[in-house]
Amino acid sequence: MNMHSRSRKALGIAVASALALTLAGCAREGGGGGASGGGASPGITDTAVKLGISTPLSGATAGPGTCTVAGVTAYFGAKNAEGGVAFGDGKTRTVEIEALDDGYDPQRAKANYDSLKGDVFAMTAGLGTPTNRAWRDAAIADEVPQVLVMTGDPLFSDTEESPWQLGFVPIYQNEGEAFGKLLASSGGAHKVAILSQNDDYGAGYVEGFKSAVEGAGNVQIVGELTYEATDTSVDAQITQLAASGADVIFNAMSVTPLTVSALQKAQQLNWLPRWFLPSNTSSPGAVVEPGGGAAFPAIYSVSFAKAPASPAFAEDEDVRTYLAALKEHGNYPDAPAFPHCQWSWMVGATLEQAFAKMTAPTREDFMRALRSIENFEAPLMLPGTAVSTTEAGQPAVPTVVVQKYNGKGYDTVEAFE
Amino acid sequence: MASVPSPRQRSWVRWAGPLLLVVVLAVLPLVFPESVNEIIARIGVFAVAVLGLNLVMGYTGQVSLGQIFFLGLGAYVTAYGVSNDWNIVVVFVLACTIPAVVGLLVALAAARLGGLAIAMVTVALPIVGVPLAKRLSDYTGGSQGLSARFGDAPEGTGLYDDQWRLYLVLAIGGAVFLLTRNLVRGKYGRVFAIVKKNENVASSVGISPYRYKVLAFTLASLIGGVSGFLYMLVIQYTSPETMSFGHSIQLLAAMVIGGAGSILGSILGGAYYVLVPQLTNLVDPSLTALLQGATLLVVLFVLPGGLASLARPLGRGRRSSHDRRGPTPPITPSATTGSGTAAETPETERQGHP
Repeated sequence: MNMHSRSRKALGIAVASALALTLAGCAREGGGGGASGGGASPGITDTAVKLGISTPLSGATAGPGTCTVAGVTAYFGAKNAEGGVAFGDGKTRTVEIEALDDGYDPQRAKANYDSLKGDVFAMTAGLGTPTNRAWRDAAIADEVPQVLVMTGDPLFSDTEESPWQLGFVPIYQNEGEAFGKLLASSGGAHKVAILSQNDDYGAGYVEGFKSAVEGAGNVQIVGELTYEATDTSVDAQITQLAASGADVIFNAMSVTPLTVSALQKAQQLNWLPRWFLPSNTSSPGAVVEPGGGAAFPAIYSVSFAKAPASPAFAEDEDVRTYLAALKEHGNYPDAPAFPHCQWSWMVGATLEQAFAKMTAPTREDFMRALRSIENFEAPLMLPGTAVSTTEAGQPAVPTVVVQKYNGKGYDTVEAFE
Repeated sequence: MASVPSPRQRSWVRWAGPLLLVVVLAVLPLVFPESVNEIIARIGVFAVAVLGLNLVMGYTGQVSLGQIFFLGLGAYVTAYGVSNDWNIVVVFVLACTIPAVVGLLVALAAARLGGLAIAMVTVALPIVGVPLAKRLSDYTGGSQGLSARFGDAPEGTGLYDDQWRLYLVLAIGGAVFLLTRNLVRGKYGRVFAIVKKNENVASSVGISPYRYKVLAFTLASLIGGVSGFLYMLVIQYTSPETMSFGHSIQLLAAMVIGGAGSILGSILGGAYYVLVPQLTNLVDPSLTALLQGATLLVVLFVLPGGLASLARPLGRGRRSSHDRRGPTPPITPSATTGSGTAAETPETERQGHP
């Protein structure tokens, strides 16, 4: 009998809850589409605009990831303290940033995007190729801007394929090409050895380099080897390339310890070529010094950002403003350890440019405004580089300058020595 | 279920729970906002993955650190099939069978080893899987991964995409859970339990531990493949990062936290895997790893049996009140029937954490 009343109760609860839920379901209309017709897009009001970031704040890439948040947060923190950012529609808005950790896990990046997309006006500045790719399709379907993201993957700069995306940093090909051009224009005859990572990263660098030296009579590629990103040593490859007698090595590596050991191994073999390193493994403190880079006749890399640690920029106005803001508004009290901090600061400046060109508070108009920036020299940019978003197939920063290691930092060079 | 004769009102109670669950699951996707539906769908994906791990580890006692590999393999098969416009049913079947066949081949060799040796073999899977996925770029898209969007709501249903996808996850995941529940409650479950407890005893009663270890591992791989299919349905993107070794450990932690050797524990484990990173993000995005570690320790100290042990006193009390079935020895000829919606039988519960 007791049982009987209990089952009745259960059934009653079931029916009641089902009814209640169905009724509540009517409230959902229009909730799934994201952007509603007519007025402003989500995440923007007359006084504020909200930006979302999904980036690794834990795990192996937490260092650069933290920087991607710190720079842009510091930039807009300083602007907000001055009253806000002037938009093209005549209103002044403060910029809020909500950053979430994805631990470099694509699945979590997608989850972050899902939780942010309803609240934020645009997604920006996140680091990582797989983590940005994970929600690229969804962002296109939801018509949410995914702009100025930190990945060298060319897909994000392909306007046809990615109408709601724009990459910020130069694609891998840009970097390889810049060095190839310098080498081809040097006049002297050079034998080049290539050691690249066996994935799209390494392949992109090599593709850019080869396209630049194609047809240049003075550049001969005498050896080309690859390694896996998971390898623990490239000693065998370095030994083999040393035997090729090359005087230049084009070393497209993304793994810091491997780069250090490659530099050391070449010295052990007494092979001292001129060395090219990609922008993300050319840090003076983390790579070149531990690798004993001073032993080589020259180490080249590419860059588009001023290095705040370099004595050359110690008195630079941009750098001082930046370092002060990073401390005060960016929640980043230490000296920036990764260039991503500077890049993220530039992302802030570029977004401000786009905001100034916006005439309506919608995501569509924001994308139009963002794609109309030409030759904007953002703060912290090196002379000779600029933000240009009008060219299809190119990221927001399509140009880099080649730099040479000077024992402490890097100086821009005009010619190959 | 119907094999045990019971008074009418009792069977009513027995059915009310599952019926209520089905009704709730059918209605909820219509009610919840999009973001909640997506979270539930993700929980479903990882609950299935944890379930597979539970089958081989929680129920059969074989340490497997490679479950994420099968999820990744299923996801890659799905992504490849979808991007080549294969029939989705064919894709689903392949996403189940290919991981199962790979799992079988691995298990044939690995199950010959005992104890932690099998763990070492399974460690190799994600470690080999990541570079393999990068190298076979013609099929896997290399380190840039593969996107594949499918499972949009068909015209005419009037459903949003997220609702339709959640229904698919609930239907496929629910079927896997039901089948696995029946498996571990039945003859095979008892065999797995005795293999876990003592292989020599198993041999002495004519059970080949080797054969059942291979079976459990193969089924776990198959379930991993299903979760990979669901992963693509929900996340729509896979890359070598998907099957990185760290995620395998997180999956293992999720299983332990949810409750080893428990069906309900698998669901709770999936929820842990998905929700804790989200919740720690709300607290402080720059401290997520620390907070997750702290959560793990707290759960293990306070609830060594996992979150599922919270639900047990409840399930046990209810069962004894109307089932009158005491704890039975692991090997009994009679058919085992359950009454709870997801709670476990007492004997398998205990074996979940010796």
